Amino acid sequence: MPVLKRINRMCRLFVAATLAGAVLLVAGCAGTPMAPTAALNDAELAIQAAEKDEASLHAAAELDDARQKLKLAEQAVVKEDMVLAERLANESTVTARLASARTEATKAVAINQEMSRTAEALIEEMQRAGDRQ
Amino acid sequence: MNILNMNHVRVPRMLAVAAAVSIAVASCATAPQSPEGSAEVRSKLSELQSHPTLANKIPVEMREAEAAVVVAEASVGKDVALGEHRVYMADQMVEIATARAATRDAEDQRAMLGQKRDQARLDARTREADRARREASMAQSEVESARASAASNEAAAVAKSKEMQQQIDALQAEATDRGLVLTLGDVLFATGKSDLKSGGNKTLDKLVTFLNEYPDRNVDIEGHTDDVGSLEMNQTLSQHRADSVKSYLTKNGIKSVRLEAKGLGETQPVADNDTDSARQQNRRVEVIIKNPPSEPTASTN
Repeated sequence: MPVLKRINRMCRLFVAATLAGAVLLVAGCAGTPMAPTAALNDAELAIQAAEKDEASLHAAAELDDARQKLKLAEQAVVKEDMVLAERLANESTVTARLASARTEATKAVAINQEMSRTAEALIEEMQRAGDRQ
Repeated sequence: MNILNMNHVRVPRMLAVAAAVSIAVASCATAPQSPEGSAEVRSKLSELQSHPTLANKIPVEMREAEAAVVVAEASVGKDVALGEHRVYMADQMVEIATARAATRDAEDQRAMLGQKRDQARLDARTREADRARREASMAQSEVESARASAASNEAAAVAKSKEMQQQIDALQAEATDRGLVLTLGDVLFATGKSDLKSGGNKTLDKLVTFLNEYPDRNVDIEGHTDDVGSLEMNQTLSQHRADSVKSYLTKNGIKSVRLEAKGLGETQPVADNDTDSARQQNRRVEVIIKNPPSEPTASTN
Protein backbone atom coordinates (compact mmCIF):
# COMPACT_ATOMS: atom_id res chain seq x y z
CA MET A 1 0.00 0.00 0.00
CA PRO A 2 2.61 2.51 -0.98
CA VAL A 3 0.03 4.86 -2.44
CA LEU A 4 -2.00 4.95 0.73
CA LYS A 5 1.10 5.43 2.76
CA ARG A 6 2.07 8.38 0.56
CA ILE A 7 -1.33 9.98 0.91
CA ASN A 8 -1.20 9.58 4.64
CA ARG A 9 2.18 11.23 4.81
CA MET A 10 0.94 14.17 2.70
CA CYS A 11 -2.09 14.52 4.88
CA ARG A 12 0.01 14.73 7.97
CA LEU A 13 2.28 17.26 6.40
CA PHE A 14 -0.71 19.33 5.42
CA VAL A 15 -2.15 19.20 8.88
CA ALA A 16 1.17 20.16 10.37
CA ALA A 17 1.56 23.04 8.00
CA THR A 18 -1.96 24.19 8.69
CA LEU A 19 -1.39 23.95 12.38
CA ALA A 20 1.85 25.86 12.09
CA GLY A 21 0.10 28.50 10.04
CA ALA A 22 -2.68 28.72 12.55
CA VAL A 23 -0.21 29.04 15.38
CA LEU A 24 1.60 31.77 13.52
CA LEU A 25 -1.64 33.59 12.86
CA VAL A 26 -2.75 33.30 16.44
CA ALA A 27 0.66 34.48 17.60
CA GLY A 28 0.39 37.45 15.27
CA CYS A 29 -2.97 38.47 16.65
CA ALA A 30 -2.36 37.51 20.22
CA GLY A 31 -0.45 40.65 21.49
CA THR A 32 -2.61 43.80 22.04
CA PRO A 33 -1.58 46.31 19.29
CA MET A 34 0.32 49.42 20.40
CA ALA A 35 -1.72 52.55 21.05
CA PRO A 36 -0.68 55.60 18.92
CA THR A 37 0.66 57.40 21.96
CA ALA A 38 2.75 59.93 20.06
CA ALA A 39 -0.15 60.99 17.83
CA LEU A 40 -2.47 61.33 20.84
CA ASN A 41 0.14 63.40 22.64
CA ASP A 42 0.54 65.68 19.65
CA ALA A 43 -3.20 66.24 19.52
CA GLU A 44 -3.33 67.05 23.22
CA LEU A 45 -0.49 69.56 22.88
CA ALA A 46 -1.98 71.19 19.78
CA ILE A 47 -5.32 71.62 21.57
CA GLN A 48 -3.61 73.15 24.61
CA ALA A 49 -1.71 75.56 22.37
CA ALA A 50 -4.93 76.58 20.62
CA GLU A 51 -6.63 77.15 23.98
CA LYS A 52 -3.70 79.30 25.04
CA ASP A 53 -4.11 81.36 21.85
CA GLU A 54 -7.73 82.04 22.85
CA ALA A 55 -9.00 80.00 19.93
CA SER A 56 -12.23 79.57 21.89
CA LEU A 57 -12.93 83.24 21.11
CA HIS A 58 -11.90 83.38 17.47
CA ALA A 59 -12.11 79.78 16.13
CA ALA A 60 -14.46 78.02 18.51
CA ALA A 61 -15.81 75.54 15.92
CA GLU A 62 -12.34 74.31 14.93
CA LEU A 63 -11.25 73.96 18.54
CA ASP A 64 -14.41 72.01 19.29
CA ASP A 65 -13.80 69.69 16.32
CA ALA A 66 -10.27 69.04 17.50
CA ARG A 67 -11.47 68.12 21.02
CA GLN A 68 -14.19 65.88 19.58
CA LYS A 69 -11.73 64.02 17.37
CA LEU A 70 -9.33 63.47 20.25
CA LYS A 71 -12.18 62.01 22.30
CA LEU A 72 -13.09 59.65 19.43
CA ALA A 73 -9.43 58.66 19.09
CA GLU A 74 -9.33 57.72 22.76
CA GLN A 75 -12.51 55.69 22.36
CA ALA A 76 -10.91 53.90 19.39
CA VAL A 77 -7.91 53.05 21.58
CA VAL A 78 -10.25 51.45 24.11
CA LYS A 79 -11.79 49.45 21.26
CA GLU A 80 -8.24 48.55 20.20
CA ASP A 81 -8.82 50.02 16.74
CA MET A 82 -5.40 51.59 16.70
CA VAL A 83 -5.45 52.52 13.01
CA LEU A 84 -8.60 54.56 13.49
CA ALA A 85 -7.22 55.98 16.72
CA GLU A 86 -4.10 57.25 15.03
CA ARG A 87 -6.03 58.79 12.16
CA LEU A 88 -8.42 60.55 14.54
CA ALA A 89 -5.52 61.77 16.65
CA ASN A 90 -3.82 63.21 13.58
CA GLU A 91 -7.03 64.86 12.45
CA SER A 92 -7.43 66.32 15.93
CA THR A 93 -3.90 67.75 15.77
CA VAL A 94 -4.32 69.35 12.37
CA THR A 95 -7.70 70.80 13.33
CA ALA A 96 -6.31 72.29 16.55
CA ARG A 97 -3.51 73.85 14.51
CA LEU A 98 -6.04 75.29 12.12
CA ALA A 99 -7.87 76.79 15.13
CA SER A 100 -4.61 78.45 16.18
CA ALA A 101 -3.83 79.68 12.67
CA ARG A 102 -7.27 81.20 12.20
CA THR A 103 -7.10 82.82 15.63
CA GLU A 104 -3.77 84.39 14.76
CA ALA A 105 -5.08 85.64 11.43
CA THR A 106 -8.13 87.19 13.07
CA LYS A 107 -5.99 88.93 15.66
CA ALA A 108 -3.53 90.18 13.05
CA VAL A 109 -6.30 91.67 10.94
CA ALA A 110 -7.86 93.27 14.03
CA ILE A 111 -4.54 94.91 14.93
CA ASN A 112 -4.27 96.31 11.41
CA GLN A 113 -7.77 97.70 11.54
CA GLU A 114 -6.97 99.38 14.84
CA MET A 115 -3.79 100.88 13.41
CA SER A 116 -5.42 102.22 10.32
CA ARG A 117 -8.24 103.62 12.43
CA THR A 118 -5.68 105.45 14.54
CA ALA A 119 -3.96 106.85 11.47
CA GLU A 120 -7.24 107.91 9.92
CA ALA A 121 -8.37 109.52 13.16
CA LEU A 122 -5.15 111.52 13.24
CA ILE A 123 -5.49 112.59 9.65
CA GLU A 124 -9.09 113.57 10.19
CA GLU A 125 -8.16 115.46 13.33
CA MET A 126 -5.48 117.31 11.42
CA GLN A 127 -7.83 118.25 8.63
CA ARG A 128 -10.24 119.61 11.17
CA ALA A 129 -7.44 121.52 12.85
CA GLY A 130 -6.43 122.77 9.41
CA ASP A 131 -9.97 124.00 8.73
CA ARG A 132 -9.97 125.84 12.00
CA GLN A 133 -6.92 127.84 11.09
CA MET B 1 -2.55 24.29 -38.82
CA ASN B 2 -1.11 23.38 -35.58
CA ILE B 3 -2.24 26.66 -34.23
CA LEU B 4 -5.72 26.20 -35.54
CA ASN B 5 -5.69 22.88 -33.97
CA MET B 6 -4.55 24.23 -30.77
CA ASN B 7 -7.15 27.00 -31.00
CA HIS B 8 -9.75 24.56 -31.49
CA VAL B 9 -8.74 22.68 -28.42
CA ARG B 10 -7.91 25.64 -26.12
CA VAL B 11 -10.38 28.40 -27.05
CA PRO B 12 -12.43 28.18 -23.86
CA ARG B 13 -9.27 28.37 -21.77
CA MET B 14 -7.92 31.36 -23.73
CA LEU B 15 -11.16 33.19 -23.30
CA ALA B 16 -11.07 32.64 -19.60
CA VAL B 17 -7.52 34.01 -19.42
CA ALA B 18 -8.40 37.03 -21.56
CA ALA B 19 -11.37 37.76 -19.39
CA ALA B 20 -9.25 37.49 -16.29
CA VAL B 21 -6.62 39.82 -17.78
CA SER B 22 -9.18 42.36 -18.88
CA ILE B 23 -10.77 42.30 -15.46
CA ALA B 24 -7.36 42.82 -13.94
CA VAL B 25 -6.67 45.72 -16.30
CA ALA B 26 -10.03 47.20 -15.58
CA SER B 27 -9.45 46.97 -11.88
CA CYS B 28 -6.00 48.49 -12.37
CA ALA B 29 -7.55 51.36 -14.31
CA THR B 30 -9.97 52.17 -11.53
CA ALA B 31 -7.45 51.61 -8.77
CA PRO B 32 -5.27 54.78 -9.27
CA GLN B 33 -8.37 56.95 -9.13
CA SER B 34 -7.97 59.59 -6.43
CA PRO B 35 -10.24 59.44 -3.39
CA GLU B 36 -13.42 61.45 -3.41
CA GLY B 37 -12.86 65.09 -2.38
CA SER B 38 -9.16 65.20 -3.27
CA ALA B 39 -9.88 67.16 -6.45
CA GLU B 40 -11.59 69.88 -4.46
CA VAL B 41 -8.64 70.11 -2.09
CA ARG B 42 -6.28 70.29 -5.05
CA SER B 43 -8.19 73.16 -6.60
CA LYS B 44 -8.30 75.01 -3.28
CA LEU B 45 -4.53 74.64 -2.99
CA SER B 46 -4.04 75.77 -6.60
CA GLU B 47 -6.07 78.86 -5.89
CA LEU B 48 -3.87 79.72 -2.95
CA GLN B 49 -0.72 78.95 -4.92
CA SER B 50 -1.74 81.25 -7.75
CA HIS B 51 -2.72 84.11 -5.44
CA PRO B 52 -0.57 87.08 -6.46
CA THR B 53 0.36 88.30 -2.97
CA LEU B 54 -0.23 85.39 -0.61
CA ALA B 55 1.55 82.63 -2.52
CA ASN B 56 5.11 83.61 -1.69
CA LYS B 57 4.57 84.59 1.92
CA ILE B 58 4.43 81.11 3.43
CA PRO B 59 6.73 78.70 1.56
CA VAL B 60 6.94 76.13 4.39
CA GLU B 61 3.19 75.87 4.91
CA MET B 62 2.73 75.71 1.13
CA ARG B 63 5.13 72.79 0.84
CA GLU B 64 3.44 70.91 3.67
CA ALA B 65 0.01 71.49 2.17
CA GLU B 66 1.25 70.38 -1.24
CA ALA B 67 2.68 67.17 0.25
CA ALA B 68 -0.58 66.47 2.08
CA VAL B 69 -2.58 66.99 -1.11
CA VAL B 70 -0.30 64.67 -3.04
CA VAL B 71 -0.85 62.02 -0.36
CA ALA B 72 -4.60 62.61 -0.51
CA GLU B 73 -4.56 62.15 -4.28
CA ALA B 74 -2.85 58.77 -4.06
CA SER B 75 -5.00 55.72 -4.63
CA VAL B 76 -6.23 53.96 -1.52
CA GLY B 77 -7.84 51.04 -3.31
CA LYS B 78 -11.00 50.13 -1.49
CA ASP B 79 -9.98 51.74 1.77
CA VAL B 80 -12.51 54.58 1.64
CA ALA B 81 -11.86 55.53 5.25
CA LEU B 82 -8.15 56.08 4.54
CA GLY B 83 -9.04 58.20 1.53
CA GLU B 84 -11.39 60.31 3.61
CA HIS B 85 -8.78 60.68 6.31
CA ARG B 86 -6.14 61.83 3.85
CA VAL B 87 -8.48 64.29 2.16
CA TYR B 88 -9.46 65.70 5.57
CA MET B 89 -5.81 66.12 6.53
CA ALA B 90 -4.93 67.78 3.23
CA ASP B 91 -7.92 70.09 3.43
CA GLN B 92 -6.98 71.22 6.92
CA MET B 93 -3.39 71.78 5.85
CA VAL B 94 -4.52 73.98 2.96
CA GLU B 95 -6.77 75.90 5.35
CA ILE B 96 -3.87 76.36 7.77
CA ALA B 97 -1.70 77.66 4.93
CA THR B 98 -4.45 80.08 3.94
CA ALA B 99 -4.81 81.38 7.50
CA ARG B 100 -1.05 81.74 7.93
CA ALA B 101 -0.84 83.60 4.63
CA ALA B 102 -3.52 85.99 5.85
CA THR B 103 -1.60 86.52 9.07
CA ARG B 104 1.64 87.16 7.22
CA ASP B 105 -0.11 89.49 4.83
CA ALA B 106 -1.54 91.48 7.75
CA GLU B 107 1.91 91.65 9.34
CA ASP B 108 3.42 92.90 6.11
CA GLN B 109 0.75 95.56 5.77
CA ARG B 110 1.37 96.53 9.38
CA ALA B 111 4.75 97.98 8.55
CA MET B 112 3.08 100.15 5.94
CA LEU B 113 0.25 101.06 8.30
CA GLY B 114 2.77 101.88 10.98
CA GLN B 115 4.56 104.19 8.59
CA LYS B 116 1.27 105.79 7.63
CA ARG B 117 0.33 106.27 11.27
CA ASP B 118 3.76 107.61 12.16
CA GLN B 119 3.61 109.95 9.19
CA ALA B 120 0.19 111.13 10.33
CA ARG B 121 1.54 111.69 13.83
CA LEU B 122 4.53 113.51 12.45
CA ASP B 123 2.33 115.67 10.26
CA ALA B 124 0.13 116.46 13.22
CA ARG B 125 3.12 117.46 15.32
CA THR B 126 4.68 119.45 12.51
CA ARG B 127 1.44 121.26 11.98
CA GLU B 128 1.13 121.94 15.68
CA ALA B 129 4.70 123.14 15.86
CA ASP B 130 4.19 125.35 12.80
CA ARG B 131 1.09 126.83 14.30
CA ALA B 132 2.84 127.42 17.62
CA ARG B 133 5.75 129.03 15.82
CA ARG B 134 3.43 131.15 13.72
CA GLU B 135 1.51 132.23 16.78
CA ALA B 136 4.71 132.93 18.63
CA SER B 137 6.08 135.02 15.79
CA MET B 138 2.77 136.81 15.47
CA ALA B 139 2.83 137.56 19.17
CA GLN B 140 6.46 138.60 18.85
CA SER B 141 5.77 140.95 16.00
CA GLU B 142 2.80 142.33 17.89
CA VAL B 143 5.03 142.96 20.85
CA GLU B 144 7.62 144.54 18.59
CA SER B 145 5.17 146.74 16.80
CA ALA B 146 3.62 147.71 20.12
CA ARG B 147 7.06 148.51 21.42
CA ALA B 148 7.91 150.43 18.26
CA SER B 149 4.69 152.39 18.37
CA ALA B 150 5.17 152.99 22.06
CA ALA B 151 8.67 154.22 21.34
CA SER B 152 7.53 156.42 18.51
CA ASN B 153 4.66 157.66 20.65
CA GLU B 154 7.09 158.40 23.38
CA ALA B 155 9.42 160.12 20.98
CA ALA B 156 6.51 162.08 19.58
CA ALA B 157 5.38 162.91 23.07
CA VAL B 158 8.85 164.00 24.01
CA ALA B 159 9.14 166.11 20.87
CA LYS B 160 5.70 167.49 21.45
CA SER B 161 6.31 168.37 25.04
CA LYS B 162 9.64 169.92 24.08
CA GLU B 163 7.92 171.93 21.42
CA MET B 164 5.18 172.93 23.82
CA GLN B 165 7.75 173.91 26.37
CA GLN B 166 9.37 176.15 23.76
CA GLN B 167 6.06 177.75 23.02
CA ILE B 168 5.31 178.12 26.69
CA ASP B 169 8.70 179.69 27.12
CA ALA B 170 7.91 181.98 24.23
CA LEU B 171 4.67 182.99 25.91
CA GLN B 172 6.55 183.60 29.13
CA ALA B 173 3.74 181.75 30.83
CA GLU B 174 3.92 180.40 34.30
CA ALA B 175 2.94 176.85 35.07
CA THR B 176 0.54 176.71 37.97
CA ASP B 177 -1.98 174.22 39.34
CA ARG B 178 -4.69 175.82 37.25
CA GLY B 179 -2.63 175.59 34.07
CA LEU B 180 -0.35 177.94 32.25
CA VAL B 181 -0.88 181.47 33.39
CA LEU B 182 0.00 184.20 30.96
CA THR B 183 -0.11 187.67 32.36
CA LEU B 184 -0.86 190.46 29.94
CA GLY B 185 0.49 193.56 31.54
CA ASP B 186 -1.30 196.87 31.78
CA VAL B 187 0.89 198.24 29.04
CA LEU B 188 -1.58 196.66 26.63
CA PHE B 189 -4.34 198.91 27.79
CA ALA B 190 -4.57 202.59 28.29
CA THR B 191 -5.74 203.61 31.74
CA GLY B 192 -9.50 203.37 32.00
CA LYS B 193 -9.70 201.85 28.53
CA SER B 194 -10.46 198.35 27.51
CA ASP B 195 -9.20 198.53 23.96
CA LEU B 196 -6.00 196.73 23.25
CA LYS B 197 -3.10 198.91 22.36
CA SER B 198 -1.54 198.04 19.09
CA GLY B 199 1.92 196.54 19.36
CA GLY B 200 1.17 194.60 22.47
CA ASN B 201 -0.36 192.01 20.34
CA LYS B 202 2.84 190.06 19.80
CA THR B 203 2.20 188.18 23.00
CA LEU B 204 -1.39 187.56 21.99
CA ASP B 205 -0.27 186.36 18.57
CA LYS B 206 1.94 183.82 20.24
CA LEU B 207 -1.08 182.78 22.29
CA VAL B 208 -3.12 182.36 19.13
CA THR B 209 -0.38 180.17 17.65
CA PHE B 210 -0.28 178.12 20.79
CA LEU B 211 -4.04 177.65 20.94
CA ASN B 212 -4.12 176.66 17.28
CA GLU B 213 -1.40 174.14 17.96
CA TYR B 214 -3.17 172.68 20.97
CA PRO B 215 -6.86 172.65 20.18
CA ASP B 216 -7.65 170.67 23.32
CA ARG B 217 -6.58 173.53 25.54
CA ASN B 218 -9.28 175.86 26.74
CA VAL B 219 -8.67 179.24 28.17
CA ASP B 220 -9.95 181.34 31.05
CA ILE B 221 -9.45 185.05 30.56
CA GLU B 222 -9.53 187.05 33.80
CA GLY B 223 -9.46 190.76 33.91
CA HIS B 224 -8.04 192.57 36.97
CA THR B 225 -7.74 196.23 38.01
CA ASP B 226 -6.13 198.32 40.71
CA ASP B 227 -8.20 199.93 43.41
CA VAL B 228 -8.55 203.28 41.67
CA GLY B 229 -12.22 203.97 41.14
CA SER B 230 -15.31 202.27 42.39
CA LEU B 231 -15.57 198.49 42.76
CA GLU B 232 -18.39 198.41 40.30
CA MET B 233 -16.52 200.40 37.73
CA ASN B 234 -13.43 198.28 38.17
CA GLN B 235 -15.47 195.13 37.80
CA THR B 236 -16.95 196.41 34.58
CA LEU B 237 -13.59 197.56 33.33
CA SER B 238 -11.94 194.25 34.10
CA GLN B 239 -14.76 192.44 32.34
CA HIS B 240 -14.37 194.65 29.31
CA ARG B 241 -10.64 194.09 29.18
CA ALA B 242 -11.12 190.36 29.43
CA ASP B 243 -13.78 190.53 26.71
CA SER B 244 -11.47 192.54 24.57
CA VAL B 245 -8.76 189.88 24.79
CA LYS B 246 -11.35 187.24 24.01
CA SER B 247 -12.60 189.08 20.96
CA TYR B 248 -9.04 189.51 19.74
CA LEU B 249 -8.55 185.77 20.02
CA THR B 250 -11.83 184.91 18.31
CA LYS B 251 -11.00 187.31 15.52
CA ASN B 252 -7.82 185.35 15.06
CA GLY B 253 -9.65 182.11 14.63
CA ILE B 254 -9.98 180.67 18.13
CA LYS B 255 -13.45 179.34 18.79
CA SER B 256 -15.25 181.29 21.45
CA VAL B 257 -16.41 178.13 23.23
CA ARG B 258 -12.82 177.57 24.26
CA LEU B 259 -12.63 181.01 25.79
CA GLU B 260 -14.24 182.23 28.95
CA ALA B 261 -13.83 185.89 29.90
CA LYS B 262 -14.40 187.06 33.49
CA GLY B 263 -14.05 190.42 35.13
CA LEU B 264 -12.67 190.13 38.65
CA GLY B 265 -12.24 193.83 39.27
CA GLU B 266 -9.84 194.76 42.08
CA THR B 267 -10.52 191.64 44.16
CA GLN B 268 -7.31 189.79 43.36
CA PRO B 269 -4.36 192.14 43.45
CA VAL B 270 -0.90 190.71 42.99
CA ALA B 271 0.67 193.63 44.82
CA ASP B 272 -0.36 196.38 47.32
CA ASN B 273 -1.97 199.31 45.59
CA ASP B 274 0.39 201.69 47.45
CA THR B 275 2.67 202.71 44.63
CA ASP B 276 2.21 203.38 40.95
CA SER B 277 4.32 200.43 39.97
CA ALA B 278 2.40 198.17 42.30
CA ARG B 279 -0.89 199.41 40.93
CA GLN B 280 0.43 198.85 37.44
CA GLN B 281 1.12 195.22 38.33
CA ASN B 282 -2.42 194.84 39.51
CA ARG B 283 -3.86 196.16 36.28
CA ARG B 284 -3.60 193.09 34.15
CA VAL B 285 -5.34 190.38 32.24
CA GLU B 286 -4.40 186.81 33.10
CA VAL B 287 -4.88 184.24 30.47
CA ILE B 288 -5.04 180.81 32.04
CA ILE B 289 -4.41 178.03 29.55
CA LYS B 290 -6.12 175.15 31.28
CA ASN B 291 -4.50 171.75 31.42
CA PRO B 292 -6.21 169.26 29.15
CA PRO B 293 -8.09 166.65 31.19
CA SER B 294 -6.18 163.72 29.66
CA GLU B 295 -2.61 164.80 30.41
CA PRO B 296 -2.62 166.94 33.50
CA THR B 297 1.13 166.77 34.00
CA ALA B 298 2.24 167.61 30.47
CA SER B 299 2.41 171.31 31.06
CA THR B 300 4.27 171.08 34.31
CA ASN B 301 7.09 169.04 32.88
